[in-house]
Amino acid sequence: MFCLLAEDRPSPKELEELELLNRALEKALTVRKSILKTPLETRGATGHKWAGEAHAPKKAEEQQVPVSVEDVPECRNVKAGSKKPLLLKKPSPYQLRAPYRTDPDVKKLQRKVPAGCVSQGPRTAGKISSKGMTSKQGRSHRTAAGASGREVCAAAEPQETPGLSESAPNEQQSFSGGDSAAGKNSMAAGKQLLDAGKKSSGFLAESSKKEDTACAWGRSITPGTGTLQEKGCQLKLPLPYRKAYSRNSRAWERCRLCQTSADAAAARTRFMERIQTTFCSLKLTPSPAEIEEELRGLQDVPSRLRQYVEAEPADPSTLQEEYESLLTLEGVQTTVSQCLQKLQLLQEALESQLRLHPDCTGDVGSCCPACVPVRGQMCDSADMLAVPLLCYSSLQELRDLFALKLQVSMLHQEIALQKVMMAELLPVLEARPLLEGSAGLFRAIQSQLCEGGRRFPVLVRDELLD
Amino acid sequence: MRGQRREQHREQHREQHREQHRERGSALPAAVGALCRALPPRARPAPDTLRRARFDRPQASLDFWKLLYVLLKQIHGGRWTESDAIGAQVSFVKWALWYHGYGRPQLQRLPADGSAGSRELLLAFSWLLHSPGLLEQLLARNRVQPGDQTSVCTCGDELPSSQEGTSEAGPEERVDVRYLQWLNGRLRLQWCSLHAQHQEQCKLWYKIHLFTSGSHMDQNLGHFSVTETDLIRQPENYKQLLQLLDSETKQLEAFLEWKQLEPVYWQWMETVLDNMAEEGNMCESQNVHVEKRRLPEATPWAAKLTGQMDRLSRDLVALQEHLHQLVAQRKAAWWEKVATREELQKERFSATARKIQESTELKLRGLTSLCAPKKKMHGLCRLVLRSKHPAGRMGFGQCGSKEAVAAVSAAEVITELQVREASLQRELQQLRQQCRHRLDGIAEGLEGVICISP
Repeated sequence: MFCLLAEDRPSPKELEELELLNRALEKALTVRKSILKTPLETRGATGHKWAGEAHAPKKAEEQQVPVSVEDVPECRNVKAGSKKPLLLKKPSPYQLRAPYRTDPDVKKLQRKVPAGCVSQGPRTAGKISSKGMTSKQGRSHRTAAGASGREVCAAAEPQETPGLSESAPNEQQSFSGGDSAAGKNSMAAGKQLLDAGKKSSGFLAESSKKEDTACAWGRSITPGTGTLQEKGCQLKLPLPYRKAYSRNSRAWERCRLCQTSADAAAARTRFMERIQTTFCSLKLTPSPAEIEEELRGLQDVPSRLRQYVEAEPADPSTLQEEYESLLTLEGVQTTVSQCLQKLQLLQEALESQLRLHPDCTGDVGSCCPACVPVRGQMCDSADMLAVPLLCYSSLQELRDLFALKLQVSMLHQEIALQKVMMAELLPVLEARPLLEGSAGLFRAIQSQLCEGGRRFPVLVRDELLD
Repeated sequence: MRGQRREQHREQHREQHREQHRERGSALPAAVGALCRALPPRARPAPDTLRRARFDRPQASLDFWKLLYVLLKQIHGGRWTESDAIGAQVSFVKWALWYHGYGRPQLQRLPADGSAGSRELLLAFSWLLHSPGLLEQLLARNRVQPGDQTSVCTCGDELPSSQEGTSEAGPEERVDVRYLQWLNGRLRLQWCSLHAQHQEQCKLWYKIHLFTSGSHMDQNLGHFSVTETDLIRQPENYKQLLQLLDSETKQLEAFLEWKQLEPVYWQWMETVLDNMAEEGNMCESQNVHVEKRRLPEATPWAAKLTGQMDRLSRDLVALQEHLHQLVAQRKAAWWEKVATREELQKERFSATARKIQESTELKLRGLTSLCAPKKKMHGLCRLVLRSKHPAGRMGFGQCGSKEAVAAVSAAEVITELQVREASLQRELQQLRQQCRHRLDGIAEGLEGVICISP
């Protein structure tokens, strides 16, 4: 991780101090606190030097207590249009405070919700904070202390969102240079995330500092000007944005509902039919785009079918079960042969389409992009204009989703790398006459190709004792 | 000079001809104008370009090639710069049109320097309007999203394919395998840190979504995104966002206008076809099988596709053999059992058999939908936090307006991803197994060393 923050390399003394701080935090219990306004809205110059240090302990704590942070922090101050003052008032940086005890009164305040709120936000927040409470109390002191350490980081986390949101518009508006917003790949997005992470770690550092301050000062519970948690459901977007947004979404809706008139459809069909008569006679077969789309649909079929097969009991007890099992297997068998037939058709179609492939003079790469159109060929025009939403219902779901996406991308890359390495490394071993010294090479290549570089074979010298 | 004047006369005649044929003569400029305005801002042609192309003016060719290039690149999510060579543009457009199934041979024969063929390109452009739904695709792809976006595509074409294909090793020809190992380790580290960042981002998103629930004026969403929350605090940072929203609204309104005036445009295009028929341009469709020298495997796209097909076919055949054995076994066992109890089971069993058949059919209904192509979303989606219980959502859940949103649930995507992951793992393991075989063979050749695999 440090390789990312090379420019903010902390001094050993600071590292040591931070280590002490962390240990102290680990010993402390959680304190539910509302952060005082002034110590909160601070962006000190000293915050920056913490960028590197805060990163490591934060990650360390994450690994210690792999529990999602439902502890609801409340140090985020949201005020429309307010600017943050840039002063940082704090005691000397390395004063460690005595451990704190959980203050149940603070928790209760948390659950008090401003009356006007209709949404579930505060309710769930209240529930979550109680969950957090019980989970913390259920654990040993040490881990609870760990949680409090994370609490600090968690409390500081909302501060990170400025960093993230600043980079977000960049993502949205990166149309220049033909880089359409959807053209990001996971690596580029990852880079932006890392940048955001860099920025946010800066913020995090400052706020972890502030947390310390707050700990130092504020066992007092100050409502402050309201945190995002309390006021979040009452926020209102600024009027110009609201107008622009509602005009925009109304326009989208009208476009989606807009039907092609009968004249237009007729005229269009006439044109299309006429022009298709001038095509080479292969309009009947699927287009390359359709072939690719169909193939994509078939790709996971073997895995899913295997699931069905494996789900059948190996030794069914009753006669009925056996019959059912038999029918299922036969059904799967039929599906497999259907798929094979379909695949055959696709192969033939691809061959005939490839015969008409245009000459790709020059750069072959640029004329055969790997990217695919937005919604594929099969999608309805109206569907394309609907609002694309991805609905999740819990934090865990969201995290699982992202973890899986990453895993899939990583596997794609591993497979590609595996193929390349096979092509390059195996010939090296197969070609040369194997000398004594090449055992090491063999070992390295074996581990790389067969174990993904994670494990190594053991090479034992075959010596007979004389 | 005279030739030009004759051309002009002919043009005027054609013009009048057209005017007579259409009752609403003035609708065409409006239609073409609306069409141009409905295209994305950076790829908007002047209406004149289309008009000039209709008469096959060579001057319009370059512009038209560029227009198609930019539009098709956008659909395919590729990148382009202003300085891309005309040869590359022509290649790409020809490939992309082939990809979408446009089969006019005259287009493929157009010169690579982009000096001619504006009328052909106009035809292709009009064809694209319908066949992959060019306008709708462009609108969807370039959608201004003030939300928290993520893609639900499970295709895995997201990794950038390196075009160079040459190794970036140092000047020496031999690269130490330890360098490779080190690079691999670094790569894994990067993935881990990316994972950590993602998880971090998820937590933050969740918090924002949770805390701002109930504030958004759009009931489908219900809460703010990070951008919108920041917008509240610092509205002056987001002027560009507002501008983008406004320009997109104008584009959408142009689209609606275009939909109204569509018939005029298609009639106009038909006159183009009429002209071409007069000129005897249309009967070349029969002489197609001339150019067949292209080897299918030469292009990376084709190679990738044939590779996928081969792997798929191998998997399916293996599964088929496995099933064949299994079913034969089971059937034999079954008939044995039934034969011994035939007297007892005959009548009673047929009733239960029918029930079992029905329930199995239900179970297997999922299978038939497997092979049918699904409507997959490849683009970006906005993340929305929605609780699972519509009853608790006062004012949120409208089951009626579900069509307005193409909502995908995270649970579905997770299931798909899990299946995808399983497939990919199997593929990787198969590859590794191959390597193991080959390396075992090599290991036997190692003098005096025994290899013990982990």
